[in-house]
Amino acid sequence: MEKEILPISPKLDRGEAKIAGPRKALLEQGMCQIPFPEEYGGLGLPFSVYANAVEMLGTADASTCLSVEIHNAVAEGLHRFASEGQKKEFLPALLTGKSLASFTLTEPASGSDAGTMATTAEKKGGEYSINGSKMFITNAGEADLYMVFAKTRKGPSCFLVEAPNPGLSFGGDLSKLGMRGSRTSEVIFSDCRVPEGNLVGEEGKGADYAKEILHGARIIVAALNVGIAQIAYEKSVSYARQRRAFGKSISEFQLIREKIADMKTEIDAARLLYFYASRIKESGADYSSEASQAKVFSTEMSLRVCDSAIQIHGGYGYTTDELHRHWRDARLLTIGEGTSEVLRMLIARRELARSQ
Amino acid sequence: MKIAVCVKHAVDEAELKVDSAGNPLLKGAATKMSTFDKNAVEEALRLKASQTGEVVIITLGTTEAKKSMKEALAMGADRGVLINADPMAADTSRTAQLLAAAIKKGGPYDVVLCAEGSSDNYSGLVPPMLGEYLGLPYVGYAKKLEVSGQSARVERALEDSVEIVEAQFPIVVSVVSEINEPRYPTLIQIMQAGKKPLEELSPETLIPGIKPAAPLVTGMKAQAMARKKVVFEGPPEETSKKLLDALASEGVLPR
Repeated sequence: MEKEILPISPKLDRGEAKIAGPRKALLEQGMCQIPFPEEYGGLGLPFSVYANAVEMLGTADASTCLSVEIHNAVAEGLHRFASEGQKKEFLPALLTGKSLASFTLTEPASGSDAGTMATTAEKKGGEYSINGSKMFITNAGEADLYMVFAKTRKGPSCFLVEAPNPGLSFGGDLSKLGMRGSRTSEVIFSDCRVPEGNLVGEEGKGADYAKEILHGARIIVAALNVGIAQIAYEKSVSYARQRRAFGKSISEFQLIREKIADMKTEIDAARLLYFYASRIKESGADYSSEASQAKVFSTEMSLRVCDSAIQIHGGYGYTTDELHRHWRDARLLTIGEGTSEVLRMLIARRELARSQ
Repeated sequence: MKIAVCVKHAVDEAELKVDSAGNPLLKGAATKMSTFDKNAVEEALRLKASQTGEVVIITLGTTEAKKSMKEALAMGADRGVLINADPMAADTSRTAQLLAAAIKKGGPYDVVLCAEGSSDNYSGLVPPMLGEYLGLPYVGYAKKLEVSGQSARVERALEDSVEIVEAQFPIVVSVVSEINEPRYPTLIQIMQAGKKPLEELSPETLIPGIKPAAPLVTGMKAQAMARKKVVFEGPPEETSKKLLDALASEGVLPR
């Protein structure tokens, strides 16, 4: 992370460097192997260890982290719901960085209400034909393997589409506020044929699988945001120490100290929340509420922290890519992988059910 | 081909803090594998890959030195030998004697690799002393090492020239950092490193009756950078000329 990713992070933001090389190096080092069993080439370590590694990667570069997180979410989905044959075929390559994955659920007119998806998969002989399009897809056009959610007659179902495929095409790279190092675009399926063996799990269960995959991914997004906030905080403390105003270091002013105290407290609280959710996940209990709490708190926290970081840096904060990109990167994550609004609904629903 | 690499668990010079009087705060300072030792380990692994054989890491230190040992094993070395002794109680000569004894005990080795110096004290004394204690040819400051059969062709990076020497095995070689780019171990390698064999030896078993010989350190200060703080004032046409003259008189620019 320090050698390959941190130095090029500002260049990734400005579009002057490509993510593919450092991401591959990171995956080859074993980033994706951490939480998976050894029989598929994983390291068999607890999920919380992976979450912590994500936090560290988040401090180095958020967009590389996002790309890896999506890749790993597909690996998690395969591990949870795919057949033994599918796991043996796809997991080892994903875990060692030999292939890259992409998760395609959101559509132009369908987000967290996955049941309304318009993409369809129709069985024709020994194949499924997938038609429709998916929107805001990370790793689109770069991935070798797409986890695709499409409706069959039994409801939303999960498929694997290997690239290249004549029925698979991509829109242009979307112009984003932040996370500019990772590629995001529309994925279009036009009579995209896959063998029936590429159905993951059972037909009609896709929405449940997506929900499960996203619960884990929310913990990881929380950890990523702690990483973003941590680096913005460290830069702020360093700047506050050396910047002088009215004859003294601005770190001596009470209002700057208040910001530093609040930033640090919130970062530590968010870190504990994602560890807490991770530990519940590791125990096998229902962790959907805790994962959502970690994500809501952590994503909103990192926006506050990155905003304070800009404020502490004053004019330099507003005009320096290397500082305001942290806020721009963080801004995605109260939206992606479940908006704060949807997750609050989920938390409340879950907690009300628990108290019955 | 059997290769021994001598590795030092050193103070992390990048993290070292000094007090207001300029004294380095060594107590509780962060530690790591001496920077250039990674180049020595890397070179050993490359030699092994081209020849097949065994890479053995030898270090003198306390239990804490196992951190560096583990890192070298994670990079790909086969096993480790830890001489359990306080490095602060062993001067360079005693360190070299003990390393030589461990090398003799586990040998014979074809090549003994070291870094040109450690990244903390950088005295560069141990490698040539090792050559003496082992009675082997010593080739220092290698920037390129090519092995063919039982001999090596070494390019030595000297101050203003490169010397090329050939030497028959067994030899002691010290390397400079430009010889290679050390690899990063993968997470799997890091986890497996803990399972590799690690032999622990006491100084007494290596050299019966050996006494500690702490180096006498009379003082240690952070290097102070003297600045002259010369400021030229006036229009650029005049000050630029004054600056050029001043740089020339300091010997920075030719007159």
